[in-house]
Amino acid sequence: MEPRGARVYGMTRFASLDPLVRDRADTAGRSTEETRLDAAHARELDRFLASVERRAFRIAQFALRNVDDAHDAVQHAMLRLAEHYSARPSEEWRPLFYRILYNGIRDIQRRHGVRRRFFGWLPGSSAHADEDAPDPIEQVPDAGPEPSRQLEADEAMAELQRALQRLPARQLEAFSLRCLEGLDVAATAAAMGCSEGSVKTHYFRALQTLRGELAEVWT
Amino acid sequence: MNDDREPELQGLERRARDAFDASVEALDAHTRSRLNQARQRALAAATAAPGANDARRGWSAWAPAGALAAGVLVAALVLRGPVDSDRVPAVAGSHPAALSQEPLELLAAGEEFEIATSDEELEFYEWVEVAAVDAANGQG
Repeated sequence: MEPRGARVYGMTRFASLDPLVRDRADTAGRSTEETRLDAAHARELDRFLASVERRAFRIAQFALRNVDDAHDAVQHAMLRLAEHYSARPSEEWRPLFYRILYNGIRDIQRRHGVRRRFFGWLPGSSAHADEDAPDPIEQVPDAGPEPSRQLEADEAMAELQRALQRLPARQLEAFSLRCLEGLDVAATAAAMGCSEGSVKTHYFRALQTLRGELAEVWT
Repeated sequence: MNDDREPELQGLERRARDAFDASVEALDAHTRSRLNQARQRALAAATAAPGANDARRGWSAWAPAGALAAGVLVAALVLRGPVDSDRVPAVAGSHPAALSQEPLELLAAGEEFEIATSDEELEFYEWVEVAAVDAANGQG
């Protein structure tokens, strides 16, 4: 999937895209990249967002297990990328977008954690809302090119999702970005804000876990 | 990904990717519509009228200076302490503290101020001022 040569890029390829560094630069009053888009640039950004929005939504759904939260996370990432980073070279958009997306996902998870801690004891609280939420796989419409193949795909996805939900957060990120979204190691490292070595470790562990979980059901 | 990865892991990756791609393709119309709307909002924000964003940025640029000025003002008021009534310039033998409190009392009473529009009203206000000064001097 990834050409061997991709490894030589390393983090240096995306060294300048650290959103945290950019935020600090903005705060310090230095030149900002909040430039208005011309029509051609806007079209390019539109195409990029259209190419990632559905996959990003699914990835957010894996992490958050809630449809509305997944929409919020994707919308936040789109807005932030468009407002603050659209002037950056387009090849940086994908790792940047996913970095913003995962930051948003962690924020939402933190908020839910706090809410659960403080209000979870209340009767009728939404402490177990995640468990009560409808399975997103069940929301997939039956209509498709071929009902039997669609059913097979749905079942495979349901198994995969169950296995993914048992992964630690960082392993889930590494697996989602590397395998499902198809980012190379350097881009995944940039998106996760860690070293390439960490990406490889998280990814390898995720694969090992998934192999154990899915070996029987996918054979 | 590495070509030398175990065939079993390669198969796992391929199946996971296929299942994921199929689930993405199978997203319902409502979800697609919501995502499309979110994208349009993001694009609109990025291509918003420069004036609005510049104005917002202008205000935010002045915010630190404003905060600093407010801080200096508060510090000056705190360090200066309460107003010393002896330092208020005396007006024609009147009691300065009493005069300086009049506007505050009027404000506290909630009465409406009206700007004098006629000579008659101006004369009335002059008479009130003289009467107040006389009262303060014990001549009333």
